[in-house]
Amino acid sequence: MMADEPTVLRKDQLEISLVEEKKLIKDGTIKDDNPLDLSEPFRELCNACRQGDLKVCQEKISEGVNVNARDPYDYTPLILASLCGHYETAQLLLESGALCERDTFQGERCLYNALNDRIRNLLLEYDYSKSTDPLQPLAAHITSLLVRESPVTADIVVTASDQSLHLHKFILAARSPYFRAKLAAAPESATWKLPSTIPPEAFGAAIKYLYFGEAPRDLRSGPGTGFTESETFAGVDRISKYLDIPSLPDSILESGDRRRARQRRNDEISKGRDQMDQWFQENVLGHKMVVETSKANEIQWSRNNAIFADVLLRADDLPDEEDIATGAAPAEGPKSTIFPCHRAMLLRSEFFQTMFSSTFREAYVKDQLTIIDVDCSPEVLEIVLAFLYTEKADFPLEVAVDVLFAADMLFIEKLKTKAAVVISTLGSAGMSQAEAAKTRGTTDEDDIDIYSIVRAAWLTRVQRLEEFAARYLAYRLEAHIDTLEFAELIQESASRIKARQETDSIEMLDDIRFYLGERFRLRFDEAGLDEMMEEDVQSHEDDTDEEEADNKLTEGVAALDVSKGTSDPEVEAPQEQGPEIRALDGALVVDEFSEDALNYEILLEKLDDLLERLNLEA
Amino acid sequence: MAAMRARHKIRAPRRGFSHAKTDDFDSIWEVLSVSLNEINTKNASSLSFEELYRHAYKIVLMMRGDDLYEKVTELEQSWLQTNVQKLITESISASLLRAQSSTDAQDQSSERREAGEKFLAALKDAWEDHQLCMGMVTDVMMYMVRQLTKNSDESSCSHLVQDRMIITAHSKPSIYVTCMALFRDSILRSSVRPESSLTITDMLKSTILFMISLERSGHMIERPLIRHCIQMLEGLYETSTEEESSKLYLTIFEPAFLEASKEFYQAEGQRLLQIGDATTFCRVATQRVAEERERCRYTLAVVSEPKVLDLLDEHLIRSNIEEVVNLAESGVRHMLDHDQLEGLQNVYLLNARVDRKKEALTNVLNKRIVEMGKEINKSSIVLPQAAAAAPSSEKDGKGEKRTEKGKDKEKPQNQQTVSAIRWVDDILALKTKFDGVWEKAFGSDQGLQSSIGASFSNFINMNSRSSEYLSLFFDENLKKGIKGKTENEVDVLLDNGIMMLRYIKDKDLFESYYKKHLSRRLLMKRSASMDAERQMISKMKMEVGNQFTQRIESMFKDMTVSEDLTANYKEHVARNGDPDQKPVDLEINVLTSTMWPMELMTNAKDGAVQLPCIYPKEIDILKSSFERFYLDKHSGRKLSWQASMGTADLRATFVRSTGKTQRYELNVSTYAMVILLLFNEIPDGEFLTYDAIKERSRIPDHDLTRNLQSLAVAPKTRVLKKDPMSKDVKPTDKFSFNHDFHSPFVKVRIGVVSGSANKVENQDQRKDTEKKMNDERGGSIEAALVRIMKQRKTLTHSQLMTETLSQLSARFVPDVNMIKRRIESLIDREYLERVGEEPPTYGYVA
Repeated sequence: MMADEPTVLRKDQLEISLVEEKKLIKDGTIKDDNPLDLSEPFRELCNACRQGDLKVCQEKISEGVNVNARDPYDYTPLILASLCGHYETAQLLLESGALCERDTFQGERCLYNALNDRIRNLLLEYDYSKSTDPLQPLAAHITSLLVRESPVTADIVVTASDQSLHLHKFILAARSPYFRAKLAAAPESATWKLPSTIPPEAFGAAIKYLYFGEAPRDLRSGPGTGFTESETFAGVDRISKYLDIPSLPDSILESGDRRRARQRRNDEISKGRDQMDQWFQENVLGHKMVVETSKANEIQWSRNNAIFADVLLRADDLPDEEDIATGAAPAEGPKSTIFPCHRAMLLRSEFFQTMFSSTFREAYVKDQLTIIDVDCSPEVLEIVLAFLYTEKADFPLEVAVDVLFAADMLFIEKLKTKAAVVISTLGSAGMSQAEAAKTRGTTDEDDIDIYSIVRAAWLTRVQRLEEFAARYLAYRLEAHIDTLEFAELIQESASRIKARQETDSIEMLDDIRFYLGERFRLRFDEAGLDEMMEEDVQSHEDDTDEEEADNKLTEGVAALDVSKGTSDPEVEAPQEQGPEIRALDGALVVDEFSEDALNYEILLEKLDDLLERLNLEA
Repeated sequence: MAAMRARHKIRAPRRGFSHAKTDDFDSIWEVLSVSLNEINTKNASSLSFEELYRHAYKIVLMMRGDDLYEKVTELEQSWLQTNVQKLITESISASLLRAQSSTDAQDQSSERREAGEKFLAALKDAWEDHQLCMGMVTDVMMYMVRQLTKNSDESSCSHLVQDRMIITAHSKPSIYVTCMALFRDSILRSSVRPESSLTITDMLKSTILFMISLERSGHMIERPLIRHCIQMLEGLYETSTEEESSKLYLTIFEPAFLEASKEFYQAEGQRLLQIGDATTFCRVATQRVAEERERCRYTLAVVSEPKVLDLLDEHLIRSNIEEVVNLAESGVRHMLDHDQLEGLQNVYLLNARVDRKKEALTNVLNKRIVEMGKEINKSSIVLPQAAAAAPSSEKDGKGEKRTEKGKDKEKPQNQQTVSAIRWVDDILALKTKFDGVWEKAFGSDQGLQSSIGASFSNFINMNSRSSEYLSLFFDENLKKGIKGKTENEVDVLLDNGIMMLRYIKDKDLFESYYKKHLSRRLLMKRSASMDAERQMISKMKMEVGNQFTQRIESMFKDMTVSEDLTANYKEHVARNGDPDQKPVDLEINVLTSTMWPMELMTNAKDGAVQLPCIYPKEIDILKSSFERFYLDKHSGRKLSWQASMGTADLRATFVRSTGKTQRYELNVSTYAMVILLLFNEIPDGEFLTYDAIKERSRIPDHDLTRNLQSLAVAPKTRVLKKDPMSKDVKPTDKFSFNHDFHSPFVKVRIGVVSGSANKVENQDQRKDTEKKMNDERGGSIEAALVRIMKQRKTLTHSQLMTETLSQLSARFVPDVNMIKRRIESLIDREYLERVGEEPPTYGYVA
């Protein structure tokens, strides 16, 4: 899709644009996209990007390290990750807002440095022109409320001169101090009149601004509109003072330079998001109610409430929860939490959109607000609501699977992806080679129940998680291969395909084999592998000749145990010092390789055994 | 610590789906099925979306999505079969069934119509309810729908994607689609009565077709109702993949509709032909087109519009249009003759629908134009002949002696000129008429315009005198016609003439006539307006090209140069001339001989050398004085004097018998002046015989006769007396000066009998002109041949012919035999040579 554009700028063009950019930054006209950052957390992020350490990356990003900063050598994390060929890391950075914009110095540099085409294509996909501002979906949704016809969510008609707009009180209150004050005084008002001297164009622009819309390219004025250009601009000025939104005139007058416009818009959106967030915290969360489940449905909220909610969402505490995290369970019975919400925002979920557009009970707005059950814990519902209102999705690994399920149930794809990202990165399976080697076989370090993750991935159809799990298992196969759970998992994976043919493959197993290959192949030199393999097969055959088939499993484990003890310190050495060691000490290398190859063989063998036992062909 | 906590927290919430209990599923389904039935009975407003969704969601998480899908399908099917189908069947009345089987339905049409409407309404309601309910069911089953049908393509790892694609390729059609198909199978395809093989679809089809046939015969029908039923057919498909082409509308209804339409229009065509009125046919057909269009847009489906219109075109129009156009009593000819523009327009529009060339119309139109044109041609010949019927015998008797022309002869000649002009006027009127028809009825169609033009050209060229007539038309108008007309009117007049010129094939012939007529106008100063003349030339230039007007333009140039010359000469005389001598005013036109039609003036008879005329002394002096003056300026030129084209002003004194003298100023031709001056030299009362005059003046016989006729015979201008007094002039006749000449005016203009006015040529002149024309054409052909051969060096005979024809076609249509002769002649003269025989090929000899 980007093929028709020139792929890279010429070097001299880049240098010119770099000089110009620096000048502009110096003048203060634009912000530096990539400020120099010498802090320790940023240094750690950069190191993690060099090594492809997803876990550390995610942690640092969650801490709030600027992913677009640069180190003393002008490297940004994204450049490092793409230069070192860490696809997943680069993807994580891009999803977290790292910029790779065409026609900028840093962007082109990033593209130029990409280790392979796969990463390069990934970078191109995230070009700014495809609007990867993480807040863009939220802004687009709120803007769309202005023109959305069904279901009806507007609760106030605002009129200026002859133009009337159907608007939402909570958005007006969140975004404009003027409306906040006025509506606090009269929350039930259904219409509002602004002075008729304000030109409709200016009024429209102001409302669009409040609804996160992009500033109109040029305000219509002159003949036909009844207002001259200067009157319109004066009107914009007036309404911005009237509604107390001082940045409005600037946002309309600002034009020209693409980067400056983008920067301003990003600032505006994130400012707006913060306003929404503040309002959400204060009002929605501020008014949440915890009651006993049995009494939950007796709650009555008038349609005319101070926070303009038009629907109540209810989430019940899970009754069988072992309350390790939240403290002692209340003795008097299950509790429910009620959140007062706004349909307009809930519409971001396809579930709610369908619900409110249907002719079912929930679609009717009554004087007393409808209570809608949501089948998840209050904690998760709060996360979901926070995402819908503010696009924020910060939650710990502990609830990630619950969020994943809730997002899946409510049809919120973005949140689902976020949950998957949290699980797959904090789950630490995307570890670097070095780490993989380190943790190999250390079964008791697992943070997560990988089997549950796999099943969740299947249920919610998140490919990314399936791959994550396969990789996770492949890198720790020694610990899982002999367990009953693993066998069950393989069995399930096989049964997922309906009317399975003899020749069909078992997804999970194929994925595991793939990553197993990756794990070991990474450790061997490509060329050397085949030779090693032949040797190993022979030696292995020697082994098997002597041993009984029944004993093979224990033998394999024993071999692993033996190898682990000796290889651990040595494995780290070649990683850090590179190929010289091999040349210097060939015997050691050969030993280590043969051990690894042996392990590989044993693992593959075991997989085949497993299949045999399960009566599966693959 | 974190690890400890995580192990407890992270779990799939509803674990163990693979061994979910069957009774869980059954109990949840129990709840769901009750609700779904509520939806079907339209009691949904009290149902909770969330609750239904949760149930469906749970079932899907149990991995029982497929079972749910099956159950829902089953439930809806049984609902349709037990409840809805009954409703529909009940709505079909016995009478409707009867009407279905009987072939002749018209007699009970109102009854059948009522029953049909009831049936359609029931079906429409059932369909709309079904759609609504299925929409709700689909909403509730949203999660299941996605799980079972949607492709999870979130992947980024290319090596893994392919396996997934295969798995999801067999996914089910969405529940909505399945339920729609249920409606098709359980309702539309069920039979109307248990024992009957007739299905609801058949019923629907025949009922709608019946309604349409009602509408076609002029009844009002429930259009929206039919539209809804059609929309239902459009919303249903034969297959679950829902390809456009498998819409039930396209597979079931449309073919039947088209078949019925075809039959209807075949019959309609027959019926209308039997009425035998073209106007009616066209009106009805046009109306039918509009009706069908409207029907497809508002009652049926837009996709059928082109198809049914094609049928209509084919069966109603194309197969009948020719017959209609040619209907004797009311066809196009009738319409043309009676200016029925609306009828013509309908014919045109209909014909244009089925035939881009509009052949039927074009043919009859052309035929009519040529007919009418021939009529005009004929009357232009008949009219003068009728007038000349009396003197025709005399003419025969006179043979080819052109010099003998009496008064009787002159009259038909003038009439012929008048009729020539009438001919042009008639054609122009005809053209105006057809232009009007073309513009108003034929939508200014390009093809028809050229075809009308071709027809005009066709009959105009049938008249062999068309070039001459047209030139006469211009002559007449430029002399008299345009007097008192505004510039615009003149413009229109000339444009009309030019338009006719466009149709004339032999443009060279026209050119030669035009030149001839023009030269007379110029030399005799007969042009009413030089501006108009110039305008005419520029128009001709635009129409026919530069080459065509070159010579005509140089004629104009000669005239202006001559004016200067005359003025210069006068100055010269005033400076150097003998002041004593009474000067004779000279106004002279020096003409370039190649540009002017000299044959007009020389009258050189059969190569006989004509000695120059002997001028009176005063004139001779003047002549030589001017010659000296002119040759001084332009040495090496030769001036030859054309007395026949000149005029002179004389002041003559007549002495009455009473002794009084009376002076008249006579304006006469140059020859007449020479003759009259001869009488100055003889004493009063004496006479001169014809021979004596001839001898003394050496005026050619032809001119002498004519001049003497006008001086002595014409009743109002008898300056000379003739003895014996008769019309004819004989060599022995005696002439004497008539002192008793009387005229009411002081200035008397004595014209020369015949020859000076532009008239239609007589047969001999025509032959002359044709001969000259042929010579000239021969030259043009040879020039073209040599030009082509010089360029191409060698060329086959046929190629050479085509090239020559195409080069010359702008000027005239060359005769193929003439070209052949010219080629032979060029070979003889060794310009060309034969280089091959098979095929015959010529080469250019340098």
